[in-house]
Amino acid sequence: MTVPILWRDTEVSVPVRSLNSRAARLSRSGSLRSRAARAAGLRRRPLGLILGLGFVLAGCAKDAELDTFQDRSETARQINDLVYPVFIVAGVVLVLVCGALLWMSVKNRVPADKDYEGEFPTQVSHNNRLEIGWTIGPAVIMTVIAVATLITHLAVNSTEANAIEVEVKGQVETWEPRVVVVGQQWWWEYRYYLTEDITTADLGDPWNLPKADIVTAGQMVIPTGQEVELIITSRDVIHSHWIPALNGKKDAVPGMYTPWKLEADDPGVYFGQCTEFCGLSHSRMRMQAVAVTPGDFQDWIEAQMAMATMPTDEDTAEYRGMEVFTNFCASCHLVRGLNDGDYNGAETVSGSAPDLTHFAGRTTFAGGLFNLYNPDGSLNDDDLAAWIRNPNDVKENYADDLPEGSLPRGMPDMGLSERQISDVIALLATLGPRPTDAQILATEVE
Amino acid sequence: MTITEKPVTEGPLELESGREAIAERPLGVLTRPQGGRGWRDWLSTVDHKKIGIMYGVSAMVFFVVGGVEALLIRLQLAVPNGGVLSADVYNQVFTMHGVTMVFLFIMPLAAAFANYLIPLQIGARDVAFPRLNALSYWIWLSGAIFLNSSWIVGGGGADCGWFCYSPNSGLTFSPSHGVDFYAIGLLIAGIASLVSAINLIVTCLNMRAPGMDLFRMPVLTWMLLITQFLLLFALPVITVALFLLMFDRLFDASFFNPDMGADPLLWQHLFWIFGHPEVYIIVLPAFGVVSEVIPTFSRKPIFGYTFMVFSGIAIGFMGWGVWAHHMFVSGIGPISVAAFSLSTMFIAVPTGVKVLNWMATMWGGQIRFTTAMLFAVGTVAMFTIGGLSGVTHAIAPADTQQTDTYYIVAHFHYVIFGGGVLGLIGGLYFWWPKIFGYMLNERRGKINFWSMLIGFNLTFGPMHILGLQGMSRRIDTYSAGFGFEFWNMVATVGSFIIALSVLVLFHNVWKSKREAADLPPPGPDPWDARSLEWMIPSPVPEHNFDEVPTVDGLDEWWHRKYGFDDNGKVVQIATVEEAAQDGSAKGVHLPAPSFWPLVLAVGLPLIGYGLIFNLWLCVPGGLLVGMGIFAWALEPVDDPDASHDHHDDDHDDDGDGDADDAELAAAAPVAPGDSSALAAAAPAVPGEGGA
Repeated sequence: MTVPILWRDTEVSVPVRSLNSRAARLSRSGSLRSRAARAAGLRRRPLGLILGLGFVLAGCAKDAELDTFQDRSETARQINDLVYPVFIVAGVVLVLVCGALLWMSVKNRVPADKDYEGEFPTQVSHNNRLEIGWTIGPAVIMTVIAVATLITHLAVNSTEANAIEVEVKGQVETWEPRVVVVGQQWWWEYRYYLTEDITTADLGDPWNLPKADIVTAGQMVIPTGQEVELIITSRDVIHSHWIPALNGKKDAVPGMYTPWKLEADDPGVYFGQCTEFCGLSHSRMRMQAVAVTPGDFQDWIEAQMAMATMPTDEDTAEYRGMEVFTNFCASCHLVRGLNDGDYNGAETVSGSAPDLTHFAGRTTFAGGLFNLYNPDGSLNDDDLAAWIRNPNDVKENYADDLPEGSLPRGMPDMGLSERQISDVIALLATLGPRPTDAQILATEVE
Repeated sequence: MTITEKPVTEGPLELESGREAIAERPLGVLTRPQGGRGWRDWLSTVDHKKIGIMYGVSAMVFFVVGGVEALLIRLQLAVPNGGVLSADVYNQVFTMHGVTMVFLFIMPLAAAFANYLIPLQIGARDVAFPRLNALSYWIWLSGAIFLNSSWIVGGGGADCGWFCYSPNSGLTFSPSHGVDFYAIGLLIAGIASLVSAINLIVTCLNMRAPGMDLFRMPVLTWMLLITQFLLLFALPVITVALFLLMFDRLFDASFFNPDMGADPLLWQHLFWIFGHPEVYIIVLPAFGVVSEVIPTFSRKPIFGYTFMVFSGIAIGFMGWGVWAHHMFVSGIGPISVAAFSLSTMFIAVPTGVKVLNWMATMWGGQIRFTTAMLFAVGTVAMFTIGGLSGVTHAIAPADTQQTDTYYIVAHFHYVIFGGGVLGLIGGLYFWWPKIFGYMLNERRGKINFWSMLIGFNLTFGPMHILGLQGMSRRIDTYSAGFGFEFWNMVATVGSFIIALSVLVLFHNVWKSKREAADLPPPGPDPWDARSLEWMIPSPVPEHNFDEVPTVDGLDEWWHRKYGFDDNGKVVQIATVEEAAQDGSAKGVHLPAPSFWPLVLAVGLPLIGYGLIFNLWLCVPGGLLVGMGIFAWALEPVDDPDASHDHHDDDHDDDGDGDADDAELAAAAPVAPGDSSALAAAAPAVPGEGGA
């Protein structure tokens, strides 16, 4: 099978080597990634590599950030370890069936354009022993698969207690890694409760969740090597949360808090996509899991716990941006340090919009859709300005011209002037701290 | 045993007492149309063959509609960030593509085969309830037109996906009228399938020719019978769900609104309790077709008839216990997931039996690769791929990666297109001479087959890869850089090859018809086939059988042509000409046509529009429905203008299966005392008086 290779342009040089392996995998240097991926495959699963000769390689030997075969967690590996042999069995069955059909087609063929003549073939009407055999045979194969499935099913649905210690505002807290994941048209919110042990029972109305220590949007930051429990829900329609490299998907259903888990072996940015059809911008509802080392995770917590610092010098763009933000954005968006308060004054159907306190600390915006930074590390203010100028142009939503009977969803066109837009971008750029270069680079898929 | 001879006091059929009065043309309208020629004949026909043809033609029209929608989808996804359709229109197009292909193409195409072939294969004059049969068709058509009219009068199609999950299907999130049209249109079309299911089940059970035991029915009839049972039990479920959805949207009933405490998963359960049997409703008819075609062109009987029938029945039963495999990631508990994972795996067993039995039928046979046979073998191979990928997502943990990706899109297209559509198109080639009296050209047929097979695999094969690479379903665009570009382009190219192939099919129909004048007629049995429909002329005369055959075994027609000598060798005992009927019977009494099914059916979409736009519209709609029912009930059982000599064989109208019609017609009139007994034994009069 020939492999279509869609190599990217190679203009970016390779500071990549110094980065972690995930970033390397994601870098623009295809050969580097390919080697890493292959090495991983060899180390972990020769069987998978054999299958790779089939369609795995055809599918995966190129840049595919959502590839289900590039598993980067124990759970994702368990799933693939289960399904690889089944692919092989299925492939064998297919070859046998098609081979037998072809063989008979050649061997038993008589001219199609003439009526039958001459002697009939032996008229065999049945053979009970044979038929019972090929009823029981597949049943036995399926039983084997069923047992293996049950074992893996139990494994991927089990959770283990793995509390870690994190320092929150100078206090050491024992934290069972757990993130409340809230889907909303068309972005994801991630809520971290570090100082209290929040369970499903405490959560209640998804539009009015208990105040969290950290709230972020579009990107979920998790420590590597830790099983992170997810509690998934939705504020409007059903969504589905899927980070293929780390685990399968789980639906976010309004009115339900569904447990799930994620875990990443190595630091890196892992891509995800909403996979349950959720209306207009379903295809543009994306997210990433950003895995960082436990040490970096501690740093991240500290940064996130901090309030945003607001500009004080009235002559700066940032200051004017703050005024724009207060006048136009603050009724929906929260920046702790500026308009700290309740989320629920917002007028969108879902009652809230992304928390922007540490906006510039992420690498994507608008529901994980656009890169916030260019590959050279500069702010991607073109896309950001276009998004603020008229969100509906770059990501269709229902915020402006509402169909009758509907409720607003998405970000409206606030009618800002170009000056106001650049001012508010100047403010947003200060809402750091900036992500690492590795993370910025790893987010680049285009 | 005519109805008129029943004592007036005999019970529920009392309206017969007024029969004479009705026959005097009360109001001047309740006469039965004469049939005749031209369009009026088609509007009033109750002939199962004409109804079958109308199902088939309408299905092909909607195949084109759904196909155009498919091409729009593929154009949009051909390249990253496609700009052919807006997100809103894309969502409508992919929704209507699914709805159209499932409800307006494959189901009616299968219904076309069921209507046309079941009575012929069991040696019946017609279905049990001919007017109900007409009603099914007209209701289905009115539902189909209603559903698609939302493009014009509803502000666009439904935009919720064919599965229409709540709460996205609610008024808040889908405020256009599209979902209303979806709910009401499918409710209307569902009535048709339900009525038709009852009709065909009664036909299979009660109208079989003498000697046609259940286990002498051809496999196609068996698979269609199982399909009808699935429809009978599955459609009420979706009807309930759609009714609740309609009430939610039109009258704020809040069945599915989580804000009011409802559980959105309720819709999913209801939808898939219908939706999974629906898969078998789609593929079993094609399995039946394949089971007729392969033996014919292997010159062997079907291998393991009993296993074939029972595996079909097993699929029919097990199909009810697997619905939640569509919901593995919905948040249902791990035990539920495990249970449905296992049940789904084991439904692969009876399906595997079918594949192996088809292969065993070909084994050692003399295989003629006619177009029909090519399609049948193609169906076996393509369905096998769909079945095997099905096993991979029966594995619940793997399904968490696969579900709602293009891997699933690939899987169900291999099942539904590869298993269902290819099989049914093969059936078209096989029965075309029987239905229309001319053969479809084989050379063009082979072009049709190979282009469809190649186009199909180019379109849906790459979707396996796309899905495993992480491409979600139902996305209107994708970004470059995820590795989706190449295979999407291949799929788009493939889809246009399929479109070309469909054009070849249409061209073949048209051209072969023109060429037919210069070719010898195909005769009753052009393929040396096995079941009863091949013993009567092509095209089938209006009265089907000159004389209802008495059946002695499976493959009755084949056994009338061939026997075995002392050494067990097959010898011809009669030529087709000797064994076949010549269609010359005259004066066979047939059910009289009626316009009332059409009137009734026209009323339903009016009620639908009324519910959506202005309740007053329901009044004329309701009046039409009421009038249709009332007039239907009062319609004279016979054409009053026709000779009254025929009264004695009124029972012929039903194609009564337990007694030989021709024989009865020739016999002396049955004594009145016998009539009730006969009527009880064969509730077949409904063709006229009842239902």
